[in-house]
Amino acid sequence: MSTPNGIYLLAAKQISVQPPLTDEWMDAPIRYREPYVQAIDPDYKRYFAPNVARRLGKILKRAMLTARLVREASGVDNPDAIITGTGLGCIESTEAFLNALARGGEELLTPTHFMQSTHNTISSLIAIDAGCKGYNSTYAHKGISLECALADAFTQLECSRIQTALVGAHDEMTPTYFTLLKRTGYLGHAPGGFSGEVALSMMLAATRSKNALCRLRGVEMAYGPANSDAPRQALTRLLQRARCSPNEIDAVMTGLSGLPANDQVYARICPELLPNKNLLRYKHLFGEAYTAPGLGMYAAAVCLYRQRIPAHLFVDHKRGEQRGVGHILCYNQLEEKNHAFILLSPCGK
Amino acid sequence: MPKEIFVTGCGIVSALGAGKEATLTALRERRTGIAPVRYLKTAHTELPVGEVKMSNEEMMRALRIPEAAATTRTSLMGMLAAREALDHAQLRNKSGLRTALISGTTVGGMDKSEQYYLDFLENDTKNAYIATHDCGACTEMIADYFGVFSAVQTISTACSSAANAIMLGAMLIDSGRADAVVAGGCECITKFHLNGFNTLMILDRNLCKPFDAHRAGLNLGEGAAFLVLEAEDTLRRRSAAPLCRLAGYANTCDAYHQTASSPNGEGACLAMQAALRTANLRPKDVGYINAHGTGTENNDLCEGRAIQRAFGRCIPPVSSTKSFTGHTTSAAGGVEAVISLLALRHGFIPASLNFANPMPELAFTPATTDQPPTPLRHVLSNSFGFGGNETSLIFSTI
Repeated sequence: MSTPNGIYLLAAKQISVQPPLTDEWMDAPIRYREPYVQAIDPDYKRYFAPNVARRLGKILKRAMLTARLVREASGVDNPDAIITGTGLGCIESTEAFLNALARGGEELLTPTHFMQSTHNTISSLIAIDAGCKGYNSTYAHKGISLECALADAFTQLECSRIQTALVGAHDEMTPTYFTLLKRTGYLGHAPGGFSGEVALSMMLAATRSKNALCRLRGVEMAYGPANSDAPRQALTRLLQRARCSPNEIDAVMTGLSGLPANDQVYARICPELLPNKNLLRYKHLFGEAYTAPGLGMYAAAVCLYRQRIPAHLFVDHKRGEQRGVGHILCYNQLEEKNHAFILLSPCGK
Repeated sequence: MPKEIFVTGCGIVSALGAGKEATLTALRERRTGIAPVRYLKTAHTELPVGEVKMSNEEMMRALRIPEAAATTRTSLMGMLAAREALDHAQLRNKSGLRTALISGTTVGGMDKSEQYYLDFLENDTKNAYIATHDCGACTEMIADYFGVFSAVQTISTACSSAANAIMLGAMLIDSGRADAVVAGGCECITKFHLNGFNTLMILDRNLCKPFDAHRAGLNLGEGAAFLVLEAEDTLRRRSAAPLCRLAGYANTCDAYHQTASSPNGEGACLAMQAALRTANLRPKDVGYINAHGTGTENNDLCEGRAIQRAFGRCIPPVSSTKSFTGHTTSAAGGVEAVISLLALRHGFIPASLNFANPMPELAFTPATTDQPPTPLRHVLSNSFGFGGNETSLIFSTI
């Protein structure tokens, strides 16, 4: 399908383990050695009435604020669609209700945590806050939740069903759930693969604005058993649809995290699929989370906008900063079953 | 011009039984599946529920899954329904088609999490069920059981999840991103959401009475249902026979409240109108509305008003089959899509059970006779979720 005008990322706002609501991590990233790091929250009192801040869980406050600020920054006050990716949803509220149920039984429960426990509370809250009556959806599919949301927005923008979409990636992590996911091997023990938190709102549009960060050329996902041809097929489809040659890819934003079980998959697949490409990483700064790939996309978008890749993003430590950036391919996989590719280009290309 | 989307298979498991035949028989005989609690280990035995009348062990045997495997009730029901749908469409074997599985669920593996939560925290004995907790894990268990899917996605928009999965399936086919899509949803009853709904005081202690003036809440149900969707070129390539078309679909947001609908059913009205527009139909073309119709004070009033606004003087027969199945939450959009399809294929209106007193606020009453005034050509199915997530699907004869 042709996209005469292209699809653009107009603005992005994040709250994570790096300084919130800024791109400071580009020049002065915070480094962590702990296995479990919570996001740095901005001072919500500056933005919300006290009763609002008190009423909402962490993930909801972060989502509402990043959504408000991205609407403001993009000038799109009332997006046609609100689409969220979240691996675990409102896990803090879910755990609170679960804990009360497991410890106190079925008689003494209150509705507050239940009402805030469903995954789509996030998309709904943003819609209520912005008064958006359009398409509203939520994807909760492990490590590709964000890419599912992005692909939905991309497809609808591509066929002109919508003109603008607010796409979010949101995951919070509680101390108890961190312990649980360490037991399953998803999260690591220090120093590799530390656990982070994600709140990212992005505004996509079918027309370019003056300050657009980059162009979104395509999103492709694949599912298949280990060692299957699924990732290669997905990458080929993506590049064909975008009419982009593999030679044009400047750098690959990978999900290398420091956790051996995760990194081995990239170490095997990247040289096969994308030989001789500069590999980038972001999880050493932002940590691991199901929707962390949103922050990888955001980091790549900032690099494209500023036309430079800071030295600390390169996997190859010996490389210095790169000036001038062409296409960046984001590649994310989970357990070598789910694979996702996002292709980003500078606005002019 | 969007592609035409065809339905070539469907599968269902609910309180009415496993499979289309059992479902159809129960609907025609007006036999509800709602009964006292039998499988869920809950203190709330006073609440009638629409349970699938099979234990997990019985489902595992029916699916030939080894006893020791870590599974969840939601995924087991999902496998049963998906198996029926794939068999129906003759897609069980590797077909060379790019086939996607899109499932809607919200509680996912919560049945095990609520059972083993303290073990999760305190010891290593139930770690296998930590990994089955999230929604995506549930979809992947279903996908891995069949091994024919090249893409899997999970939608979680509470009680409209399965309807949104079906809508996404249509959009994937329309954009050429999949040849065939198995779309729907699955959800078992858990103590978690039974108690959640109970704290919201929206559960009826008796059988639910959708669109009745004296309605007193919903009965929780469980189940799974999937449709197989294909475009015409795929259909022709493999000489498959379509059952009906998915002619219209729309999703909107009420943007009013996290757990209540706006008084005039603004979002619901917009969803029905938009679905009619995408199907290129007028209100008078629709022969039957399978309402969301939970039986709560709030839903039935708001949905009723929305139907009146969207359909004006051409309101077709309306019924809520939640009086048969209970509210199957994330699976409801799938369960009711299959029921809508059965109505269309067999030319009858599934009744609304337990109705006695008209609502003074509404100009219509739910259908109690199963004979459509004119042959059914188009059926509209509503699914609404928490957060004002409103989805309408329209199924049409070929």
